[in-house]
Amino acid sequence: MAEWDLSQKIIPYLDRHLAFPLLAYLTETGLFPAEEVQAAQYELARKTNMVDFAVNLFEAVYPGKEIPAEFNEKRQEALLTNERLQQEAQAVLDVIENPDVAQALRQDKNQNLQYLKENYNVNLEQITALYNFGQFQYTVGNYSGATDYLYHFRILSTDADLNTSAHWGKLSSDILIGKWDVALEELNSLRDAIDSRSTPLPASASAADPAALGQLHARTWWLHWSLFVYFNHDQGRTLLLETFLSPTYLNTIQTSCPWILRYLVVASILSRKAPSPSSRVRHSIREIVKIVQTEEYQYTDPVTTFLKELYVEFDFEAAQKALKEAEKVVANDFFLDNFGDEFMDNARYLISEAYCRIHQRIDIGDLSDRLNLSRDEGEKWIVNLIRETRMGADAKIDLEKNVITINRPPLPIYQSVIEKTRGLAFRTQAIGAALSRTSQQQQQQQQQQQNQQREQGQQQSTSQPSATGVVATSAAGPAQGELPTVVEGVR
Amino acid sequence: MVSRFFRQAGDSDSDTESSDEESLTSGDEASKPAAPAKPKSRFLHSGGSSDSESSPSEEETEDSEDEQKPAAAGQKVSRFLATGSDDEDSDEEVKRVVKSAKDKRLEEMEATGNSMNNALKINDWTAISTGQLRNKQTSEFDKLLRMVQRQQNVGEPIPPFFIHTIVDLETSVNDAQSKDAKKKMNATNARALTAMKQKIKKTLKDFEKEVKRYQADPEAFEREYTAAVTPEVTTKATKTRKIEDAADQDDDTFQTVGKGGRVLQFTSENVFKELQHVQEARGKKNTDRSEQIRILEKLLEVAATKYQRIRVLLALVSARFDYNASVTTHMPTDLWTAAQKEVDQLIDIVATDNHYTVEEVTLDYDELAERTPDEEGGGIVRIRGSIISFVDRLDDEFTKSLQNIDPHGTEYVERLKDEKYLYTTITRAQAYYGESKTQGDSLTRVIMRRLEHIYSKPDAVVNALEASASNTDVRAAASKLGSTSLLIHSLCVHLYKSGNSLLRTRAVLCHIYHYALHNDFHTSRDMLLMSHLQESIHSADVATQILYNRTIVQLGLCAFRCGLIKEAQTTLQEIFATQRVKELLAQGVHQQRFQALTPEQEKAERQRQLPFHMHINTELLEAAFLVSSMLVEIPLLASIDSEEQKRKAISKPFRRLLDFADRQIFTGPPESTRDHIMQASKALQNGDWQQCRDLVQSIKIWSLMPEAATVKEMLAERIQEEGLRTYLFTYAPYYSSLSLALLSQTFHLEVRTVTSIISRMIWNEELSASLDQSAGVVVFHRVELTRTQQLAQVLADKVNALVEQNEKTLDSKLGGSAGWGDRGDGGKGDKREQVQERRGRTGARGGTSRGRGRGGRFQQGLGNQMNEVKVR
Repeated sequence: MAEWDLSQKIIPYLDRHLAFPLLAYLTETGLFPAEEVQAAQYELARKTNMVDFAVNLFEAVYPGKEIPAEFNEKRQEALLTNERLQQEAQAVLDVIENPDVAQALRQDKNQNLQYLKENYNVNLEQITALYNFGQFQYTVGNYSGATDYLYHFRILSTDADLNTSAHWGKLSSDILIGKWDVALEELNSLRDAIDSRSTPLPASASAADPAALGQLHARTWWLHWSLFVYFNHDQGRTLLLETFLSPTYLNTIQTSCPWILRYLVVASILSRKAPSPSSRVRHSIREIVKIVQTEEYQYTDPVTTFLKELYVEFDFEAAQKALKEAEKVVANDFFLDNFGDEFMDNARYLISEAYCRIHQRIDIGDLSDRLNLSRDEGEKWIVNLIRETRMGADAKIDLEKNVITINRPPLPIYQSVIEKTRGLAFRTQAIGAALSRTSQQQQQQQQQQQNQQREQGQQQSTSQPSATGVVATSAAGPAQGELPTVVEGVR
Repeated sequence: MVSRFFRQAGDSDSDTESSDEESLTSGDEASKPAAPAKPKSRFLHSGGSSDSESSPSEEETEDSEDEQKPAAAGQKVSRFLATGSDDEDSDEEVKRVVKSAKDKRLEEMEATGNSMNNALKINDWTAISTGQLRNKQTSEFDKLLRMVQRQQNVGEPIPPFFIHTIVDLETSVNDAQSKDAKKKMNATNARALTAMKQKIKKTLKDFEKEVKRYQADPEAFEREYTAAVTPEVTTKATKTRKIEDAADQDDDTFQTVGKGGRVLQFTSENVFKELQHVQEARGKKNTDRSEQIRILEKLLEVAATKYQRIRVLLALVSARFDYNASVTTHMPTDLWTAAQKEVDQLIDIVATDNHYTVEEVTLDYDELAERTPDEEGGGIVRIRGSIISFVDRLDDEFTKSLQNIDPHGTEYVERLKDEKYLYTTITRAQAYYGESKTQGDSLTRVIMRRLEHIYSKPDAVVNALEASASNTDVRAAASKLGSTSLLIHSLCVHLYKSGNSLLRTRAVLCHIYHYALHNDFHTSRDMLLMSHLQESIHSADVATQILYNRTIVQLGLCAFRCGLIKEAQTTLQEIFATQRVKELLAQGVHQQRFQALTPEQEKAERQRQLPFHMHINTELLEAAFLVSSMLVEIPLLASIDSEEQKRKAISKPFRRLLDFADRQIFTGPPESTRDHIMQASKALQNGDWQQCRDLVQSIKIWSLMPEAATVKEMLAERIQEEGLRTYLFTYAPYYSSLSLALLSQTFHLEVRTVTSIISRMIWNEELSASLDQSAGVVVFHRVELTRTQQLAQVLADKVNALVEQNEKTLDSKLGGSAGWGDRGDGGKGDKREQVQERRGRTGARGGTSRGRGRGGRFQQGLGNQMNEVKVR
């Protein structure tokens, strides 16, 4: 199963601290030798300021060996830095925590800064101290503290780069404390930040074109980090579909991290029944099948294979095999672990739906096999299925022969005509609305233009009263486009 | 007469040009005929006896005059020699010739004067003036005048003898008129006398000054003349030089005349002088190019220092390229080979000794002075010139010659063998530029040249080229890289990094082409889509557009080889829809039916043509396209039943052929590729997949495709599947159920595959049927639509189309800014994404919106392309 493990692919796109849970999970699954994973954990921790944690890991990895002296030094150093930074930050914190100040703060950051400077003598450097302290807190593992400081910093600071950095830091901290609602909010605002302007990560700044490439990098990172949130938040899966299927992020997935497809597929299978306003989510499976098909040469795993076998090849046996594999894969995936049963249920449903749509008479035993269920279970499953879905009227179980007979009357032709013409009225209305909106805009523009022209005309009329006056008035009508040139000609 | 003179002069020019020896002999010839002309006795005898008798003698003089002209030419030439080189030796050489020619002319002049005197004595004015009775256009007098004029033209003083003659003439004319002798004269003679009088008057006016001087003191005048002519070389030399400076006559090639001894003078000392002469003569009208080349070759032999060698080589290679003035013809192979060798030498010199560089822009320096690294600032001698342009030119000439040689002859193959050497030269140049690091632009250009030599070739050929390159040149950069793909990748990456966007575009196209050639469809497709070339290609230059077309076509072939029939079909469709495949691939000139091309257009078109060995076989291309069209189109045709829908053909060219084949009353056994495919299509329509397979597989052109066997196998498989689909579509209305086992047996497919295919058709609602698992049959639920129902459906479709059209119109009216409605979500971000992906192209691979709307993009690119070509 190790071959399907994505940790190696995902971890490079994660923060050091975010990688710990993944590695911890790997020790549980036992896909890799425990020592190796522990060694990896130790290597990760060594570079952080979480000295105690690192020491513990060191003891676990190299039992009986003496703890290197550098840890002691580091601890001392960390303590000192902590104190220093805290002092620096405290000054600002004191000010901010003052209720008067909180009330006086407004939306406009520059104004706030001005206000703080005038009244409390707080300048930009001091605010930056907040950031530094927050970052330090993060490195020592005090995530909730880091969240607070970074939050305050973001409110006050005007430095774009540091703000972005604080953004990421706060998201990471939120994820690590497990406040999913807050994290989701943070995630969305970060996404807006990435989309609205190209926010190059410091790491990618060296590339040829930092702006565009940086954005691609930022999106890739964002995609990986978002997995934490989306697979832990209640609404996560639907939101994931919504985001990942938007063209920009889909492109990012296809370009730089095709393995994310697995999560996309799982999310779409999971949210099969989820009520969603977006048509994109409702038809997600169809779209994802296409993507899986085109990306087949880049990335396959049992999960995507399952979807492909089911909807491209219609090979139910192969789909069933792939599903068996996929079950294990899902069970061993850090993000998907909790959704194993749900995934299987939905996958079964998809199989039986497709199966029933294609077949007229189905042997119950056969179908049960297809669904990886025993005969009795299968029967129960099918009865439930018939009861739940609209197939109810059409499908009947013949127990004597042990078959299900599905009788699908063809869709009445009139209904199909109605389906086809359903949205037309609305769409036409939309066109009309758009037309009127734009014509209004144009009118406004025209008026502005006219005003300008008039002004011009008046200015000129001082020098050449007769000629320009005529032009300005006569051209007020539809000949807007020509006007400037006419005026210029007169000039 | 005048024209004759010019012609003859021209002739003698070419004679003298041809070789040193010949020019010498021509000088001899010139002096010899002068001798027979001298004894005028015959003329004297017959002088005034009768008109008829004197005519041959007249002719005689004419002849002699003609003969004399080469000498005149020779004389002129030699003077240039004298000015050209300040060498005493050569002047000595020249003087001999000068004398003989001048003497001859003087003799000639005197002879004419004598004959005039004779005529005077007998009062034969006709002979002097008009000569009309003798069927001669020219009279003695006119002849004399002309000669004097020539004398003046070449800047020699007027001989006193001439002045003497005309003064005499004047007096005798006056005498004749004043006397009563007039009365005795016959009418013609009298007329001639009057005419003569006027002529004399005119001439006297022209030479007024000289005549006065002569009349004042005849002896002094004579002395002056002899002083001017005989002893002084120096005065004459200065005089003539002046003339040369002023007129800078176009006959510079005359330099070579009489140069028998001059070969010895090619010493390393005067290399620069000679070089300068050659360079001054370059590009002038009558320059003898082959002679120049010869001079330069000799100079190269004597060139002693590296600096001299470089200078001579630069001039020599340019001279070789100059050899053909015309743009249309190609350079002779031997010249090309020589030039190639010399470019090699040149590169060797500059590459081995980094004290010398050849640069396009240098500080001014003295052309005539020797330069050494020690004297130069920075220890580097910079010489004006451009190796890269030589390499470019070599390559272009090579291509040109291939364009002009009949590709089916052995000559073509022979010529093609030279590519090896050319390639070596290019790699050498690359190595040189790569090391010198100063001329980045040249490096990218030379890399582009190299890339263009190898991108379209299969591995074996590239390896051969590489082997020859690395054999001859040890330091050939980048050729150590193992596989071809790596080599091409490294070359391309270098070009991507360069600032030149044209080269980048071409490089990425070559790269894509290479991947496509190696059956790496996904990579090449992704690269193509990520480069977004299809959006901008219509604004590129023609050569790049051709490259783009080639790349697209190769991509289509690649898809076909990989068994991606649909992709192959959509890719190739665009180019075949134009029916101008050959033209678009620059593999043939398009015959326009309604308007003829202007010669310029045609010439331009011909220059664009690719050499034959680069061609993509159009027949193979067509076969691939038609077969993939067949596999896509035939099931589709079978699936639709209403006439209306049938009109929407996917592949128009295929549909047209099919219709044509349908109309045929009698069909014989297939001959051409098209016949094969058409008959195969019909067999497929009838569900006879085996025949279809046999027909398709028996197409001979497949043998040109690499891995023909696997391709055929793949095709057979596809035909089986599509055959099944077609069969189901066609015969579904007539069955209520079909056994899966039977189907699998008929189409030699596994039951599982059959089930899978049918399932897919049911799921996609192409087939209204369902499977009965227990019985192992497929049950059809066909519903016949009534007329009203059909119409209702059509109506609904049309209304749909109407709304869509409206939306589109609105979109375009609003400037396509996706500003209205919610349909363009992420439009802006999308655009940005595309940009960034283009940037990140070299590193990351992957696709943008693959699959989606790809056909449309191709269409866009090609469509514009068509227009462009058409406009042109």
